[in-house]
Amino acid sequence: MLMPRKPPRGYRKPHAPKRKGKATRGTKVSFGEYGIQALEHSYVTNRQIESARIAMTRHIKRGGKVWITIFPDRAITKKPAETRQGSGKGSPEYWVANVKPGRVMFELSFPNEATAHEALQRAIHKLPMKCRIVHREGAGE
Amino acid sequence: MSEVRISAEPRTDFGKGGARRTRRAGKVPAVVYGHGEKPRHISLPGLEFAAAIRKGGANQLISIEVTDGTRELVIPKDIQRDPLRDDIVHADLLIVRKGETVTADIPINFVGEAEKGGLVVHELTSLNVETEATHIPESIEVSIEGLAIGSQRYVREIEAPEGIVILTDGDQVLASVSEPRGEETDEEGAEDEAAAE
Repeated sequence: MLMPRKPPRGYRKPHAPKRKGKATRGTKVSFGEYGIQALEHSYVTNRQIESARIAMTRHIKRGGKVWITIFPDRAITKKPAETRQGSGKGSPEYWVANVKPGRVMFELSFPNEATAHEALQRAIHKLPMKCRIVHREGAGE
Repeated sequence: MSEVRISAEPRTDFGKGGARRTRRAGKVPAVVYGHGEKPRHISLPGLEFAAAIRKGGANQLISIEVTDGTRELVIPKDIQRDPLRDDIVHADLLIVRKGETVTADIPINFVGEAEKGGLVVHELTSLNVETEATHIPESIEVSIEGLAIGSQRYVREIEAPEGIVILTDGDQVLASVSEPRGEETDEEGAEDEAAAE
């Protein structure tokens, strides 16, 4: 599963990332032919990214290439169950990518368009927000 | 490429609020500059401008007739779009003269089929070229017919059409054909690919 090698930005327990605004970068399909674009804000965990990738690669089997264009670089902390309040911030529990609307998260290159769409649709089912399938500019709509 | 005539209005309402009011009125805020002239702020009719770009591409030659009586021949230098609605939110227009050369990004149109069973990966989707402003091609055709698995097509291998100088580095790969990877190997290599971020 994807996770940083060391805590990014020098903080092991960062504040919760803001869920505001639209994506300003990574809004176009740059590597493959098709992509999954987020339509809502959400934290995407490394487990969800892995699950979506597996759903996609198992459907296309051979003959395609998958790009993951988000990275879970924000730690989310959690206090243990049945613990009294106080005593400081909880410990890092899992990693998320802070995804904003418009962000292309996965890209796929595959010769058969129908199979590619089905693979991306299966990946969308593993993600926590509304998404849509987008094509690269200039590629057949 | 034939030119499209679009009438525009001079814009006096600036800033975030002014630009939003312009967009609400169905217009696109734009700026016209080039040839050492002072930048001029105008608003374009949204539907007409979007139709021109959709039909002629991002390098469509446009003749702008501003209501104050001036006329300029321009090409879009930059077009900003809303990532979700895909509306044009702003345009930078560069003044050009007939006969002068400009640099522009031309989309690549890959034709032909590579060796059977190979996976074609398009590394570049457009080429930076120098060409005459009034004769910018809509696309450049690149043949990948019969390209063998494990081989690449480089920028230096393209024969530029007449009157066009390719500025993109010749050593850059345009397209490569790789052997399709199996499901098992794909899972192992996931971490490397994620570095694309």
